[in-house]
Amino acid sequence: MAEVVIGKLSKSFGAVEVLKDIDLAVEDGSFVVLVGPSGCGKSTLLRSIAGLEPVTGGSISIGGREVNGLAPAQRGIAMVFQSYALYPHMDVAANMGFGLKFAGAPKAEIAARVQEAARILQLEPLLKRRPRELSGGQRQRVAIGRAIVRKPQVFLFDEPLSNLDAALRVNTRVEIARLHKMLAATIVYVTHDQVEAMTLADKIVVMNHGRIEQQGKPLDLYYRPANLFVAGFIGSPAMNFLKGEAVAGGVGLGADGLISLPLPPGTAPGAHVTLGIRPEHMRIAAGEGGLRLPATVDLVERLGETGFVHLRLASGAVAIAEIRGETGLKTGDRTHVALDPARLHLFGADGRRLG
Amino acid sequence: MPQGAYLRLLLFFLGPAVLVYTLFSIYPLLATILNSFYSRQSDGSHLWAGLGNFHTLLLDPTWSGPFWNALKNNVIFFLIHMSVQNPIGLLLAALLSLPRLRFRATYRTLIFMPTMLSVVVIGFVWQLILSPLWGIARMFLNFFGLGFLFAPWLGVESSALITVSLISVWQFVGIPMILIYTALLAIPDELIDAATVDGLNQFQAFMWVKLPLIWPTIGLVSILTFVNNFNAFDLIYAMKGALAGPNFSTDIMGTLFYRTFFGNQLQLGNPAMGSAIATMMLIIILIGVMAYLFLVQRRIQRYSF
Repeated sequence: MAEVVIGKLSKSFGAVEVLKDIDLAVEDGSFVVLVGPSGCGKSTLLRSIAGLEPVTGGSISIGGREVNGLAPAQRGIAMVFQSYALYPHMDVAANMGFGLKFAGAPKAEIAARVQEAARILQLEPLLKRRPRELSGGQRQRVAIGRAIVRKPQVFLFDEPLSNLDAALRVNTRVEIARLHKMLAATIVYVTHDQVEAMTLADKIVVMNHGRIEQQGKPLDLYYRPANLFVAGFIGSPAMNFLKGEAVAGGVGLGADGLISLPLPPGTAPGAHVTLGIRPEHMRIAAGEGGLRLPATVDLVERLGETGFVHLRLASGAVAIAEIRGETGLKTGDRTHVALDPARLHLFGADGRRLG
Repeated sequence: MPQGAYLRLLLFFLGPAVLVYTLFSIYPLLATILNSFYSRQSDGSHLWAGLGNFHTLLLDPTWSGPFWNALKNNVIFFLIHMSVQNPIGLLLAALLSLPRLRFRATYRTLIFMPTMLSVVVIGFVWQLILSPLWGIARMFLNFFGLGFLFAPWLGVESSALITVSLISVWQFVGIPMILIYTALLAIPDELIDAATVDGLNQFQAFMWVKLPLIWPTIGLVSILTFVNNFNAFDLIYAMKGALAGPNFSTDIMGTLFYRTFFGNQLQLGNPAMGSAIATMMLIIILIGVMAYLFLVQRRIQRYSF
């Protein structure tokens, strides 16, 4: 296994820049997840690491070796594709051994490595089957097996779970986590699903418009998002944002009143700021006082033990609060919502986190 | 739905197709086969001849000579298409599907254009091009200093059939190209990405991944070529007339049938023998298609992606 270091990587299609100045280090044996909305460049970045997309500038090195000029097969990578991309005309064993066959490996070694990968993934009974005789989950395991057989320095996963149904997705996610531990593999994994990102990653890289917005441990991103984009992207339902302006002793929210909190030093009074708070840090509470805002219930979504209340505040802003247990709230109810002062996030006019 | 209404609905939707198909395809086919079992007497009456017409066609030297000649020529005509038209079609399709190709639509349209032109136009144009008197082919070869290669290809027995076949290849190469190109487009890009990661270059990916996946289409193209070639008539007729000269060297089943059935110059039309030839054509095509279906088609795997 090896580390991947990407420096000042850029890529354009004509005048369109799809990757801008990407700096990223993937430590040896770590699991790095690239997330972001569609079109953010995460797949392009992964394909650039694989060598399937030529880059415009910058460098990529794998295991201390610069690979910019190398063909994909010489980079020591293996890739798992979203559509599995199994060769339909070959059986499972041939699919897994195809790369080695072209690398000129002896037959006995190919057979041994295919057998080994099949054992790890419990694919032994399926080795003589064609891809079309397999279920989606089995095809995905074969695709992973094809990657394992190559004994790569880095595994690249391109949205590997998005073609699976919900139950299978959870199972396969757990299996990928297990494989990561067992093989001590370096993995770069692209997804748009933040649950996958949060559960699998040692490090999450949030991308938007071809840039890295923030990279860090999953919980760091959750608790201390660096900007509005990351704050809104990580967490489901998304963080609530309330626009206001900095005043002495807190943030003025117009018709919603004043939220008193210590402003970070250097915040100019009158500056436009955005207050962020996650649904799980808001409580429906009657009465007055503290960080309470009056609100009207727009909609109640019950998921069982938990639920979400869609609220309309006095200023017309909307917010979602998480509720637990039975509350008896219904559409049209007038109530108050209490914000946990320790969990408030403050963002400046440029979207960056303040304090 | 009540049964009566269902039947009416069935009649409404299937009726027109069944009617047209029966009238213009099934009835003429059966009538032709039936006709081939009768012989016409000089007084115009029909007489049951059993397999007599086929006996005459295959064994009487007056008839069997032209028949075997036409069949042999037709086989050559088909083999030239199979070995020139379809490989070139495959090559063009592979080139068209190159990711970095520019002017793709232009090439596709230009190569497909002759297929849409009338055979009569194609035949006439090529006759002018190849004419030893004023054709540009001679000037063209002279320009490159290759004038010594020129011969009146269409007028020489040994080269007429090959020339006509190649003109037909030129006209129809767009069809295998388009069919194979479409099949190549259906292969997902990720599959080729996977092959690239597995260490294959473009050519190897074509040979080892794309080609096995388009065998069904190549099979289809082959059988279409076979059926079209054994039903061919128009290009030969347009270029060489019903006598398929020189000295019947371009005579194929279609032209032989035409001369026999409708008559030509000193030859009287003989619908009975014409029907026998038509029936033989049907049998030959049937044997070819069945051999394909049972021997080839069954072994070809179809893939969905």
